[in-house]
Amino acid sequence: MALSEFQVEPWLVLAFCSAIFFIGLAGLLIRRNILVILMCIELMLNAVNLTFVTFSKIHNHMGGQMSVFFIITVAAAESAVGLGLVIAMFRTVRSVDTDEIQLLKQ
Amino acid sequence: MEALTIIRPESLSLSSEQVRALMPYFLVFGGIMLATLLAVVKGIKPKWPVFLLAVATAVVGVVASANLIPDATIGMFNGMMVSDSYSHFFNVIFMASAGITILASLRYLDREQLQHPEYYVLVLLSALGMMLMTSALDLIVIFIALEIMSLAVYVLVGFRRTDKKSNEAAMKYFILGSAASAILLYGAALLYGATQSTNIHEILKFTQAQPAGMTPLFTLGVWLVMIGFLFKVASVPFHMWMPDVYEGAPAPVTGFMTTGLKAAAFASFMRFFISMGYGTTLSATLQAHIHDILWVSAVLTMIVGNVIALTQTNLKRMLAYSSIAHSGYLLVGLLAGSGTPGGYSAVVFYLVAYAIMNLGAFIILTVISNREDTGLNLHDVSGLASRSPWLSFAMAVFLFSMAGIPPTAGFAAKYMLFYSAIQAHETPLVIISVLCSSISVYYYLRVLVYMYMREPVGSAPASRVSMWSALAVALMVAMTLQFGVVPARLVEVTKRAVASL
Repeated sequence: MALSEFQVEPWLVLAFCSAIFFIGLAGLLIRRNILVILMCIELMLNAVNLTFVTFSKIHNHMGGQMSVFFIITVAAAESAVGLGLVIAMFRTVRSVDTDEIQLLKQ
Repeated sequence: MEALTIIRPESLSLSSEQVRALMPYFLVFGGIMLATLLAVVKGIKPKWPVFLLAVATAVVGVVASANLIPDATIGMFNGMMVSDSYSHFFNVIFMASAGITILASLRYLDREQLQHPEYYVLVLLSALGMMLMTSALDLIVIFIALEIMSLAVYVLVGFRRTDKKSNEAAMKYFILGSAASAILLYGAALLYGATQSTNIHEILKFTQAQPAGMTPLFTLGVWLVMIGFLFKVASVPFHMWMPDVYEGAPAPVTGFMTTGLKAAAFASFMRFFISMGYGTTLSATLQAHIHDILWVSAVLTMIVGNVIALTQTNLKRMLAYSSIAHSGYLLVGLLAGSGTPGGYSAVVFYLVAYAIMNLGAFIILTVISNREDTGLNLHDVSGLASRSPWLSFAMAVFLFSMAGIPPTAGFAAKYMLFYSAIQAHETPLVIISVLCSSISVYYYLRVLVYMYMREPVGSAPASRVSMWSALAVALMVAMTLQFGVVPARLVEVTKRAVASL
């Protein structure tokens, strides 16, 4: 196993995944551009994918790797709907800035 | 990776019992596909064929699911899905609320010039997602079903494409909903890491094997999944999206969301809650933490929902806050559920009663609103009783039911819920719930005061009620009164449903 010489510690990968996940979550809450927010959602989902794969490797169990395929599919559908909504919004509001959409009172 | 053997080829084929148990899903899916095809056939106007097919699909779905309620529990797809009384009972609720929503939408869509056949298909598709969600036993399947349901609803919320409010509501719902799904999924990943499985029964076995201590990974995973669910049921502090979305969405869609979405989220939450061993095999520390935090969340949800609803003048927004408050009562039932026999069945009964009365109320709002859902402020309904006496009567029944006044379904539901909570020794929680419930009487009855005791403002003509909406409202009134006066049969069915969990 030549590959094992280059192995990364699993906890390091998991820490990396959680960092990406929370960067995504923070970006979703902080950023004002809807396209960036959509990217942050993708970031969160991909961090989850990486977590699944890492655990799959740790446990030597295939279930996690299969889950990733389903998550990728769902994420693609989600982006499609999200971008559709962005286009619909841009047609009426003429902006992709979340500060511009505050008609509904808090 | 020799673990590939866990997927056995023989578990991928279906036995005849399994096919029978899957019939509701097949029929509804077939109906959706056929409706989609009808919508694009050249040379015919799709409005009536798609509408009738959608109604027929919903009726078939209700009948097929109702037939399966007494059947034995059958596991399917390598334990990823289950067909039990619980899931089929909820399937009936979802298909019925989809059907009623479709009936009530026909005239509304004409009025708003939104008569696109996609609407009916999306309602059914979302209901199919709900059906899958309640019968899913695997966190990944729950996630996929949740997304099927949510993606259809995001589009429905933004269905008034040229309206800024509708777009805004859809966008807000999409962003926050996707974030919640991602959090739920991250929780599932951590649970997978802790227990080597995403199947909730396997997770239960894991907690049974380790009664003493839980790893931090497991605890964090449980919390993240719970946050995802708490967001979907809009409990405080994850409730901020709900009023905006309810106000911006087209009125019939809001009705569908308050009933179907909430019931689906609670049904799946309850399955997860019981299956992770709350009240049975979960370690005492984690259980105490979950209990305390849900306790605080339930109290805050009831207080925030009811108090803010007091200040609302827009009826849709008021009902949105009242919907948050009802989530609080349901959380009380969930907390009390493990402490007493029949505790969870009280939650199920409450969900049914809540679905009926809220769907009815939103159909009436759909009928009396003006174009683009305006004219739903309190002063717009003043003197409604002299213009449309029947509508006002129906609205009064629904409002009494929401406030929990006998002889309506809402009273029976609240009585059972609080009774089970007292039996589970949650007395402080029940006292707070009852106080909050008495606050709610004020804002529900204020609408009645406006409808019956104020002079009409201006000379608005009586709202024209389509035959379909009238049918739907009459059905809801009859059911509200029936389950209020003779709840015994429904209680029996809910007990059977919960027993199969």
